[in-house]
Amino acid sequence: MLRRGLTFKLSVLLACIGVLASGATGYYAYHANRTMLVNEAERSLLTSTELLGQRIAFSIDDTASDALVLATMPSSANVAETDDGVGANAPRERLAQVYSSFMLHHPEYLQVRLIARRHHGLELIRFDRDSDGLVRVDGEDLQEKGQFPYVFETLAFAPGRIYTSPIVVNHEYGTHAAQGKPTLRIGTPVADANGTVVGVVVIDIDLAIMLRRLQSDLPSDYQVYLANEWGDFLVHPDPSKTFGFDRGRRVLMQDSFPVTKPLFAQTQGEVLANGLMRPRQAAGQVLAFVRRRFGDSEGNRFIVLGLAKPLEDVLAGANQLGTRIIRMVLVFSALSVLLAILSARAVTKPLHLLAQAATHLFAEHAMNPLPLKRTDEIGVLARCFDHLRREIRAQMDALHSKQSELAHLATHDVLTGLPNRMLFMQKLESALEAAKQQGAGLAVLFVDLDRFKPINDQFGHSVGDKVLAAVAGRLKGVLCADDVVARLGGDEFIVLIEGQRAADVTTEIAARIMDALNETLVIDGHGMTVGASIGISEFPHDSGNAEELLLNADAAMYAAKSGGRCAYLRYRDLLDEQAGTAAKNGPAPARTDENAAEDPAEAQ
Amino acid sequence: MHTMSTADETGSGIRLFQRQVAGVGAPVRAFSMRGDLFRGFFRAIIPSALIAVSPVFRSPISALLIAALCCIGLSAATSARAADKVLHVLAWPGYADPDVVKAFEARYNAKVEVTLVDSDEALWSQMHGKDAGQFDVLAANTAEIHRYTQANLLAPLDLASLPNTRRQLPRFRALGSIEGLTSAGKVYAIPFTYSSMGLIYDRKQVPVAPHSMLELWNPRYRGKVLDFNSAQHNFSFTALALGYPDPFQLDRKQMRTVARKLVELRRNLLTYYTLPEEATAYFIEHKAALMFGNYGTQQVELLRRAGADVGYVIPDEGALAWLDCWSMTRAASDRPLALAWINYMLEPDVSALLTRRQGLANTLSEPAETSPNAHIVWIGPVENIQQREALWTRIESGDRSERF
Repeated sequence: MLRRGLTFKLSVLLACIGVLASGATGYYAYHANRTMLVNEAERSLLTSTELLGQRIAFSIDDTASDALVLATMPSSANVAETDDGVGANAPRERLAQVYSSFMLHHPEYLQVRLIARRHHGLELIRFDRDSDGLVRVDGEDLQEKGQFPYVFETLAFAPGRIYTSPIVVNHEYGTHAAQGKPTLRIGTPVADANGTVVGVVVIDIDLAIMLRRLQSDLPSDYQVYLANEWGDFLVHPDPSKTFGFDRGRRVLMQDSFPVTKPLFAQTQGEVLANGLMRPRQAAGQVLAFVRRRFGDSEGNRFIVLGLAKPLEDVLAGANQLGTRIIRMVLVFSALSVLLAILSARAVTKPLHLLAQAATHLFAEHAMNPLPLKRTDEIGVLARCFDHLRREIRAQMDALHSKQSELAHLATHDVLTGLPNRMLFMQKLESALEAAKQQGAGLAVLFVDLDRFKPINDQFGHSVGDKVLAAVAGRLKGVLCADDVVARLGGDEFIVLIEGQRAADVTTEIAARIMDALNETLVIDGHGMTVGASIGISEFPHDSGNAEELLLNADAAMYAAKSGGRCAYLRYRDLLDEQAGTAAKNGPAPARTDENAAEDPAEAQ
Repeated sequence: MHTMSTADETGSGIRLFQRQVAGVGAPVRAFSMRGDLFRGFFRAIIPSALIAVSPVFRSPISALLIAALCCIGLSAATSARAADKVLHVLAWPGYADPDVVKAFEARYNAKVEVTLVDSDEALWSQMHGKDAGQFDVLAANTAEIHRYTQANLLAPLDLASLPNTRRQLPRFRALGSIEGLTSAGKVYAIPFTYSSMGLIYDRKQVPVAPHSMLELWNPRYRGKVLDFNSAQHNFSFTALALGYPDPFQLDRKQMRTVARKLVELRRNLLTYYTLPEEATAYFIEHKAALMFGNYGTQQVELLRRAGADVGYVIPDEGALAWLDCWSMTRAASDRPLALAWINYMLEPDVSALLTRRQGLANTLSEPAETSPNAHIVWIGPVENIQQREALWTRIESGDRSERF
């Protein structure tokens, strides 16, 4: 019960800790990996965004240099000053060739124009684009553009400066493919030899084509956002959100992505957001926004560029890792459960051993496997326990020996070491029982020393005691191991003979006892002969009762003693005598004498 | 994609100016989703649902469970309802400022989506573009209202649902006397604000107040004149300046003359504007001297706040004037809400705010300064809008006068 309970509990506890630990580690690894991937994606997005911003700047610079090339051609100023757009003009046509070649080489150019200051900003050279290619607009179709900011603002510039228009939708009438397109206009003044601005060169760029070209090497899952300095989307994956101001309903970047607010407040140059850490700011996306200066005119114009990547794509690797981690966690959990069971067993095994040892405190087998040699607390416990056990055991042993000593004292005679009357009576009772069951006989010999009292009186008690001990030794010497000899008290001894021998050799044994006791004893240098009278009672003949058998034997002994010294008498013979004549008393003592005469020789 | 036919070239200028005079002009903004509002409603509805449901069930746990289920259901229903309750408003700058809109949204527990227009053409194309049919209420001048009514785009208004009309000045309550508002005995629009379209001039450059619109053509001010980018008013005020008896009904010859006259005007211009803020920005930045004030007093107010020393005159030949009214479209899905909006626009607070913030007259109180002698020509339906617009696009884009 203990073992199972504790092992089970410990196993569960350790397994829980193991599973928890591996689960936590797995989760942390997964989480850290996701964070790392997202941070990495943010960084790479930021780089891409900055790169894209740079490219836009370069692209605008390229266009600006094109405009400058056209504006600084001497014939540009000449044509702007003299031409009215109508009729043949050879220099204008030559110049138009150059303009057309710029259009041809730049598919993103929607219009390239030379606009004069004269004639209310009349276009002198104008190339448009339509689905079939270049369209030269000339003659009557040329328009006066002086009322447009890209003309009147650029005309106010010093030669060599670049005008960059806001990005707007072109609503001018008759502009072919440019109509309705998001457009960026780059303009630069055309100056004559005196440095007087006489016209402008204006290049209209198709924002869509330009961006498509610039973002061509971006991964396909990137989404591009572009907003002007007020936050109006100019580029958005959802076209309906772009140029909202043009449709009366503005859609602002700082509303769609609140994280970009610092960019428009101009407190930050770039912001990052991701849906992992800030799901409300960038739901399901990783975002990078960069603010860039736009145009070189005075003021503080800028654009905000943004790139977005789906969080899902960024985390694809993490999800793969996630499944692996789950598998790993499962494996490690299983391992930890196994380990938990093993270690729980390892811990509880010595406890179990100790418990068993405590249960079977004095069984030697329970003691052997105790982990006495361990150096840890279990070892200490085992050693303490072992020590305790030995202590108890030693004390118990002492107690037992005391107990058996007491029992011996209670049933034996201290002087002779022979069983006392009580033990003898017990033995007699049980021998009677056995004899009754087996139908066997038994004999009780009552031995009474004849001359003990005078010896005692003459040599003192210590010699008397030694005599008694010597008598006991002699009695044992003549008896078989199976026979029982006991001291009843004083100089009275009693012998029990069982089985077949009771019938066969009782008288012989009585004779041998007589002989043995008639032999001279030498105690402390004094020779003495004690002699004995023996009364014999037999079962089943004399009695079936232990007390009676004893009494009968006593009576026979008494009769033998009164008949003369050193004789034995069977109780049945005593009865016969009492029933018959007194003359018959003689032979028995005579036999006793004979036996007694032989005794000294045997005793030697 | 871009259905508007207005000139937008200067769109950025507007916004630049908005930043400069932050808080003065009407911020032209779209409105974001009002999540708070919805959440508030959601919170309000949950406890009552719990109370209503609990007593039915003996076991508190099952009651809670059911209540929770009901809440989920309710929240779904609520979100659906809140999302449905959207009012699409087509308005002019300054008519539906965010704070005004927010108060309405809070009061009626609805979302308002404002789309701003900057010309009658833009308004018309919004009503005919791909989003046509999504607008519930719109603000337009009487001539345009007439046009929309003819085109069967408006729904008649029940004056009983517009109790605030009773606060209006008597002349604006006499709807039948204002041309274009009623048709077949039904009312289609409620007057909201009005202004003349006079001449705005810089008092420093033009020391004596001009007496005629023809001053716009004065070569003295070449490159210092601003004009509104819209077909109808340009044709009308030019016709008025040329002394034509009916500036709204031009014959072919007159039309051609006016078109050429407009090309001449263009050649005298700095540029065209569409929004009042944009006009203010150009006026100050480029030191303009004269301006056709399409937004009338609204623009004067803006300019003065921006620090310009401007005067405003009604020329001798008369000035066009518009009266903008609120109407409900036939497509309006939630008519009570649409009517609530119109009624809300006539709240004393809202109307007073229009005057205070935009300098525009409202229909509840007489304007402070009135010049009873001024010659006002209320704009009316024109002979052929399409023709005027087609011509205007070409004029505005720079076609030379020989082409007309």
